[in-house]
Amino acid sequence: MDSLTLVLLATGAPLICFLICILALRPHPGAARVVALGGMGLSLFGSVTLLLQGPVEPLRFLWFSSGEIQLQFGFLLDGLSLLFAVAVALITFCVMLYSIGYMAGDPGTTRYFAMLSFFAWAMLSFVYAVDLLQVFIFWELVGLASFFLIGFWYEKPEANAAAKKAFLMTRVGDVGLLIGLLLILPLSNSFDLPHLLDPQAGLVRLALPATLTLITLLIFVGIVGKSAQFPLHTWLPDAMEGPTPVSALLHSATMVAAGVFLMARLHPLFMASEQTRTVVLCVATFTAILASTMAMVERDIKKVLAYSSISQLGFMLIGLGAGSLFAGVFHLVTHAVFKALLFLCSGVYIHHLATNDMEEIGRRGGRQLRLTTAALVIGSAALAGVPPLAGFFSKEEIFAQLGHGGLGPFAIGAFAAAFLTAYYTGRMVFLVVAPAQIEETSHDHHGDPQPWVMLAPIVLLALGALTLGFFGSSIAATLGVQLVHHSLVSMLPAIGVVALGGALAWFDFGRKSAPRRGFITRLAALETLFIRQWYVDDFYRTIVVRINTALAKTMHFIETRGLDAGFDRLGFNTLGLGALATRLQSGWVQIYTGGAVVLLGLVVAYFGLR
Amino acid sequence: MTLHGFILLGLALFSLGLVAVLSRRNLIAVLIGVELMMNAASLNFMAFNRYVVKDPAIGQVFVLIIIGLAAAEVAIFLSIILRLYRLRRDIDVEHLTGLKG
Repeated sequence: MDSLTLVLLATGAPLICFLICILALRPHPGAARVVALGGMGLSLFGSVTLLLQGPVEPLRFLWFSSGEIQLQFGFLLDGLSLLFAVAVALITFCVMLYSIGYMAGDPGTTRYFAMLSFFAWAMLSFVYAVDLLQVFIFWELVGLASFFLIGFWYEKPEANAAAKKAFLMTRVGDVGLLIGLLLILPLSNSFDLPHLLDPQAGLVRLALPATLTLITLLIFVGIVGKSAQFPLHTWLPDAMEGPTPVSALLHSATMVAAGVFLMARLHPLFMASEQTRTVVLCVATFTAILASTMAMVERDIKKVLAYSSISQLGFMLIGLGAGSLFAGVFHLVTHAVFKALLFLCSGVYIHHLATNDMEEIGRRGGRQLRLTTAALVIGSAALAGVPPLAGFFSKEEIFAQLGHGGLGPFAIGAFAAAFLTAYYTGRMVFLVVAPAQIEETSHDHHGDPQPWVMLAPIVLLALGALTLGFFGSSIAATLGVQLVHHSLVSMLPAIGVVALGGALAWFDFGRKSAPRRGFITRLAALETLFIRQWYVDDFYRTIVVRINTALAKTMHFIETRGLDAGFDRLGFNTLGLGALATRLQSGWVQIYTGGAVVLLGLVVAYFGLR
Repeated sequence: MTLHGFILLGLALFSLGLVAVLSRRNLIAVLIGVELMMNAASLNFMAFNRYVVKDPAIGQVFVLIIIGLAAAEVAIFLSIILRLYRLRRDIDVEHLTGLKG
């Protein structure tokens, strides 16, 4: 099949399934599941075949032109989009399969699967987009789909609040992105990505260095919002209010990945501006450390994973900012796999043991779900960066890039974040696997009593997390990047940091006589800081929200008491004047006549005397 | 009699009419006042015609028009007064304040 058919299959199938589900299958949740899964399967087939066929020329269709400006719709089929589209389709497929078990019996099943299809359509179209306007449209649609899915259980006030927060906070970033894109248009008269990224005739040549810095910084604001970087990161932990499979999707291949993907897409532009690179590195490194510290003290397993997503997204941006497209994208792909795996595992615990609290999961016998626990350990090891799992190779690539670029301070920050990652991941595993005591429950938990639809994706993703690290060279080849092989010695710091973090976690939580309290509890002030999430949300709630409310109130005052009241007064005064004037109308004809005579007399006198 | 005498007579007639219009309560008296004022105007026209203008037609045309006008006006005015009296049993001007604001 030719590329156009395949790419239309990959993006169109989920859209058609969404329409079928939402329009026709409301009363038939069973059919909706099959249709959505089938559509996603077709989409996966399309994207995988495209990847196997390799990069081809972009497919473009003129949407409209106005004067010099030309806007196109089409598909950009280069290594980056082909590779990431497969990750998106595969993980969405796994999540859908898993959801069949997880969401069984939920009254909104059809809506759920319809929205998942919608999400997949938006994200795949975003990934394949050839025109920046198209990118922006689907970027917003991805945000919209997240809004629907985070607020899926709309009866819950927290879910509604979380959905609104996610939508509004990403919108703050989107304003920056939109302004950035609009600044590009007058320079190039086109949003065509291959044209903009062209090193000879592209934006790097068209824009002044200062303008380019401004544009990339504005686009980075959008990325900060979407990829939940400091200071717009607080929506992501709240987004845990959605169903767990949605979190798995949101945190791995879609939504937050969109931000990193956009940066990877526009990588040459970001590389052209030294200031932007520095800003990216600062924000990303700080975010990576910040989120890790918050994960250290969190008890809710999903929130730990959420903070770790923020921190790992920071790692990806560090990799991209340090100058290596491969390091960022490689970590994006491996992270997508093991983070989806971890969320699906946590979903099994939550589904089976009805608690989000890690200690509670351990106490209720989480480790007796053997397959899930094994997968959790694999996923955690990959996240922590234990060699030779997926996360190790991709993180190592980022460290190496930092080392090459001579970006010492950022390298130290990244190592600190990696150390903390290993620590909180170890804490999570030990809390689940080695609880202080296990409650005796009446029913035995031997084996995994979960349906196969929930276990199959876990097994598949666990295999991915185990092996994906060895595909680095083929991923680099797909991206068209020359991969530099690192010697074992250069890998030692990365291994050492992981070992140190893991050992500390074992010392605190794992060993027989462990205190089961983090070392951070000895530093009460710091612990409070971490538990209160560095007061960022409190800052927003007390300062930003208050300022906003005060502004709104002032505006309301000006509106009601100033403008409105002014016009009201004008109207009332006119009425009063009229009422006064009616008094003159006595209805007494002779007075009118007398008045007329007097007036006439005055006129005659005036003209006569002149 | 000179022009001067005619003008003074016209002025006196007009003033009497005006006073009647402005001060009388009875509508019929008001109507009589209006007639007096019109006749004063007619007298004025004829006097100027006789003493100032040589062509006798001009003033007479005006006077004839005024006489016709007065006849029509009286017919309408009286019928209005008649309707008013039938309606309200009263033709006092000071009581006819239906158009009061």
